[in-house]
Amino acid sequence: MKWPVGYGKRVLAEVDSTLDEAARIAPELSGPEWILALRQTKGRGRRGRAWSDPQGNLAATLVLRPDGAPDQSALRSFVAALALFDACVTVSGRAEGLSLKWPNDVLLNGGKLAGILLESSGRAGGVAHLSIGIGVNLAQTPPTEGLETGALRPVSLMSETGVQVDPETFLDALAEAYAHYEAQFNTYGFEPIRQAWLARAAKLGEVITARTATSETKGTFETVDVAGNLILKTAKGRVSIAAADVYF
Amino acid sequence: MTNKSHEADVAFIKALAELLRDNDLTELQVKRDYGEDDSLNVRVSRMAPAPAAPVQVQVPAAAAPVAAAAPVAAAAAPAAAPAAADEDPASHPGAVPSPMVGTVYLQAEPGAPSFIKVGDTVAEGDTLLIVEAMKTMNHIHAPTAGTVKRILVEDGAAVEFGTPLVIVE
Repeated sequence: MKWPVGYGKRVLAEVDSTLDEAARIAPELSGPEWILALRQTKGRGRRGRAWSDPQGNLAATLVLRPDGAPDQSALRSFVAALALFDACVTVSGRAEGLSLKWPNDVLLNGGKLAGILLESSGRAGGVAHLSIGIGVNLAQTPPTEGLETGALRPVSLMSETGVQVDPETFLDALAEAYAHYEAQFNTYGFEPIRQAWLARAAKLGEVITARTATSETKGTFETVDVAGNLILKTAKGRVSIAAADVYF
Repeated sequence: MTNKSHEADVAFIKALAELLRDNDLTELQVKRDYGEDDSLNVRVSRMAPAPAAPVQVQVPAAAAPVAAAAPVAAAAAPAAAPAAADEDPASHPGAVPSPMVGTVYLQAEPGAPSFIKVGDTVAEGDTLLIVEAMKTMNHIHAPTAGTVKRILVEDGAAVEFGTPLVIVE
């Protein structure tokens, strides 16, 4: 494994949240930079949910300064999901049991192994920077207390496969896989990413539920469209969803 | 679409608008199926003459008299077009449009205070709100320093590309 050319790396002993650190250092960065925290004290998930980081799990954020409009930039949600999937295959030596949940959760044996949250900072017509925050339960399974109803059970790589890998080794695999898909995305656009994502998707063709703050849509998971939207076939027709939590 | 059917459609829509006005309706929706993959879907609406139309966002006190006068003008107008006084916020020079399709959040997280409220003074670059798509939280910043005149979207609302979000003057 080799560290990808053009990507910086900084390893911190402890930080509040790698996403927050990313926001602090983004203005001074000249190129893409990975931030790895060996201990993260205030990890966060979507809409203020806490992300628990027991010792030995991965807490990292990649900061980018992407070209292109915000909607294009947001497609890196899928780029990151693919890279994370491949990194899990690399370190564990198998793809069996691994799948992706829209837009970017990595599942292992039906449980949640990893989560990705992206934050971008807009400027006229584009994004000033994009931070891709990634958490992976490598060594320990986070506690299930406080988990929302219907949420998938958390799992760890160690508990499900017996494979032991430290965060720095995992980051090497992740950074290499990410650089590969990022280059592919920049050269060929979203389509190959979309196809690769669909090939790894969980519950494709099955009935799933997408929940937002204001509504809930239940339907057959038909596809992910060219803009990254989740397409559900419901009794009232096809519904395109840009932002939601998906429940099985 | 041919010119001829275009003219027919325009005539049809005009007829609907008259129907709307003559019967004092506020909204009318019609779908015509001409054949497979060929249909016309029309929705005509106008502002209710009274009571004052509910405005989904706070209107600063100074603007209130104008807003209240609008429905009266609409009632007197011969056509069923939307009231001119309720100008399209998208064309407002201080409008901040959504750069993407997604969901709007007015707070950093549920329970947190809103980024902005009407009347707030903002500096260039301040976060006004978040638009989420595909788990990407896109922070929308004030393009210039100014005062928040209107917030045109509600928390949790789905927005399209270009939907006006906030007016900063």
